[in-house]
Amino acid sequence: MFIYSIIVATLTSLLFLTQSLKKEAMDVFIEAPELIVQRMSAGRHDLIPVGYAEKILSIPGVSSVEPRYWGYYYDNLTGGNYTLIARNIDALHMVKGTLPKGPGECAIGKGVADVRLTDLNDVLFLSINPQQKVSLKVVGIFTADSAILTNDLVVMDKNDLVNFFALPKDMATDLIVHVSNASEVPTIAMKIRRDYPDTRPITRSEIVRTYENVFNWRGGMALTMFIGPLLAFAIFAWDKATGMSAGERQEIGILKAIGWETTDVLKLKFWEGMAISLTSFLTGSILAYIHVFYFGAALFAPVLKGWSVLFPPFNPIPYIDLYQIFVIFFLTVIPYLASTIIPSWKAAVTDPDTVMRS
Amino acid sequence: MAYPTPTTITAITAPSAIIAVEGVSKIFNAGEADEMRALDGVTLSVAKGSMAVLKGPSGSGKTTILGIIGCMTRPTSGKVMVNGKDVAKLPEHFLTDIRRRTFGFIFQHFNLIKGITVKENIMLPLYPTSIPIHEMKERADAILESLNIYQKRNYHVEKLSGGEKQRVSIARALINNPEIILADEPTSHLDTKLSEDLMDRLSRLNGEGKTIVIATHDPLVYDKPYVNRIIEMRDGKVIGT
Amino acid sequence: MILHPGALALITGAVLCFSMTAYAVVLALKIIWHWDISSSSELQLALERRTYLISTVMNYVMGFEILSLFLYVYTLDSIHVLFVGAMCATGSLNANPIGWYVLYTRIAIFFLSATWIAINYLDGQAEDYPLVKLKYKFLLFIAPMIFLDGYLEIKYFAGLKPDVITSCCGSLFSDESKKVAGSLAGLPIKPMMYVFYCAAATLAALSALSMKVKASIVKYLTSFASILFFPIAIASTISFISIYYYELPTHHCPFDILQGTYNYVGYPLFVSLFGGSFFPVASGVAELFGSVPSLREPVGKAQKRWYVVSIILIAIFVGFSSWPIVFSGFTPF
Repeated sequence: MFIYSIIVATLTSLLFLTQSLKKEAMDVFIEAPELIVQRMSAGRHDLIPVGYAEKILSIPGVSSVEPRYWGYYYDNLTGGNYTLIARNIDALHMVKGTLPKGPGECAIGKGVADVRLTDLNDVLFLSINPQQKVSLKVVGIFTADSAILTNDLVVMDKNDLVNFFALPKDMATDLIVHVSNASEVPTIAMKIRRDYPDTRPITRSEIVRTYENVFNWRGGMALTMFIGPLLAFAIFAWDKATGMSAGERQEIGILKAIGWETTDVLKLKFWEGMAISLTSFLTGSILAYIHVFYFGAALFAPVLKGWSVLFPPFNPIPYIDLYQIFVIFFLTVIPYLASTIIPSWKAAVTDPDTVMRS
Repeated sequence: MAYPTPTTITAITAPSAIIAVEGVSKIFNAGEADEMRALDGVTLSVAKGSMAVLKGPSGSGKTTILGIIGCMTRPTSGKVMVNGKDVAKLPEHFLTDIRRRTFGFIFQHFNLIKGITVKENIMLPLYPTSIPIHEMKERADAILESLNIYQKRNYHVEKLSGGEKQRVSIARALINNPEIILADEPTSHLDTKLSEDLMDRLSRLNGEGKTIVIATHDPLVYDKPYVNRIIEMRDGKVIGT
Repeated sequence: MILHPGALALITGAVLCFSMTAYAVVLALKIIWHWDISSSSELQLALERRTYLISTVMNYVMGFEILSLFLYVYTLDSIHVLFVGAMCATGSLNANPIGWYVLYTRIAIFFLSATWIAINYLDGQAEDYPLVKLKYKFLLFIAPMIFLDGYLEIKYFAGLKPDVITSCCGSLFSDESKKVAGSLAGLPIKPMMYVFYCAAATLAALSALSMKVKASIVKYLTSFASILFFPIAIASTISFISIYYYELPTHHCPFDILQGTYNYVGYPLFVSLFGGSFFPVASGVAELFGSVPSLREPVGKAQKRWYVVSIILIAIFVGFSSWPIVFSGFTPF
């Protein structure tokens, strides 16, 4: 029963973890722009001329187009990878302090603040080479709640960023397209692609779908790895149930002798199996809940989280999806019950006169 | 064989016979090297309301015939009439049904289930039936009362003395209000006083109209004056009634 | 191919059900060959014990199949976000039409295994087990269905291609021809309502009549009516019952009503529908055996009970279907 609970706890932790990572990511994407236009060059994401914006704006249904400037910065000092982004109109909330209002200011993620031992009003110095460097006054720090997306972020003024990365004039990282009617997004995306064949418009629903799939895949992979132990457990359960002790055989013999039928013993065994598996299932689920939501899934987080070097402190939002619970139920309780059928039957057909023959 | 084999024992199928066994054989492991003929053409009958003893040494087949009468096992061949119904070929489901309605069993070892209370032990035979739980409890209380172990009803059975266990096992045999009580070597683990006590109770139950069949080789049982029928068995055969 | 936890659970369940059924079939074959109720041989005793094992296995298989029917629908619902244009579980099914067949086979398995359990129950009521060979032959017929169901399910999940961003471009443009219809088109509402209420009334009336009249033909007719009623009821659910619950004239998905948003009304609705259509069929099947002497009494008793249950369930189904039509202000006309 202990082993059973542990297995349930493991599986449930995995699903809770992927689920809450997914939810957290999705919550962020809800605020993501509906349509992003990237330029592709040699099969890779390349800078996009800001001039594209004008023509895109002329497509009916497009309400505004906003160039976005961002890039990755590898910090030699701490060995971390930061995401540098120019402040644009998408106001990121969850900030302590304010967003940068002009050149020389920045807002940073909790992770960056921690590794650089920087607090509000301190100076953050970033440098790629003697020519490309910048000193920024920290005016805001993103709070730790849901740090998963803001942890490695440095938000700064557009000019600071362009100079720092030495971006060519009139080039942006990508374009954000705002569309007045959400249902027209695919049509507009298609028009953009027609006008600029070198671009890749990405809609929000595509990002959501891709992430959904990626998280499903991860959860699925992890579960697949557990099929082995699960099988081993089923065999163990089988073994345990088959090896009826003399005492148990005697008890069933007594029941049969005093008027119980095979069916009655089978029912008893069924409820016994149910009791064992449901108790273990509940215990396991509670353990998993505690593990994931109070201890940040300390045991599995590295496997399932992203690739970023700055590991975001993971404080998943407690969240239970009945569907996930049902899936776990299906993966643990059902095989267990199935594995008890034959042993239960063997016990149940004990002859009632066993007790008299001893 | 020292005893003459009775060739013709006419089955007493008088209307008063509650149990009538005709030519019953039971073979274990038929056709194999260790084939064992536990019963060989047994014919006997027990009248309604009587107190009968199946007498014989161990291995004589008396426990096996008791099991067949009590609808626990089916014979390999022969006829077994209980209350006028042939039960020899009934499937388990129906055998169990008759067993529940007709028989109460008292075993050699008390065969109580450890880890549950006296009252639960007594109610066990009723769980598979459709009797509502409150009625089960009422019945159990009444029987516990009549056997003087009501005050111990919530004890676990392993805490009881031999005599108390004995009474619990009788109580369990009575809970379904059976017409027939079957007892298999009921005195073999009891001292004389408790054995006398048991026989006393059985004779009282017999006086209330219950038919009682006891398999035993204990003279204390079969020498009792109120035993009105003795069936002697040896090597799977009836050698005298 | 998608590697979704729900899909994995379902495939595990399918493999389990199939192995259990295969095992039951092996046992059943032995019984078909060697069964002899008049024998008291140890072989016969062993076979009789096996019947308990087979019954248990089949009960579990049916239980698992029902649970996996639900899990299947939930999973479809959970994965619909992976497909362009999919609004609910229907969209996931359209993404790989094999999914529909899984749904059909699973519903068929529900009815077949429930029928098996009903026959098994009747057989156990007669002292001579008159239906033993028949019921195990029937089992041999159900087994391939269960296998087919599992196979289709694996094929369904293996054949799903989620529309995700690929390296060259957004998926939307990689395969423009593939557009998943998100919803089912319903049949016209008004005529469907007439058909539905007439069918329900006919079925209930025939069930009631079957309780009174001895003639077998009435009972067979009731079974037939019930077999017709089931698809009519499903079509009605899609055509008008669902839209009254959703209060959206275009939303016909029969699966969304299982969700909390609609107070899980789908559960009583579908449970009463499945049960209500099953019991008249079971009674008709039982009628086939009414001529077996030892079964005459048990069949009569069971039929009476089953007709009553069926009438009650149909009433519940009609009640739940009509509730929003009567009490919501929504008018799709």
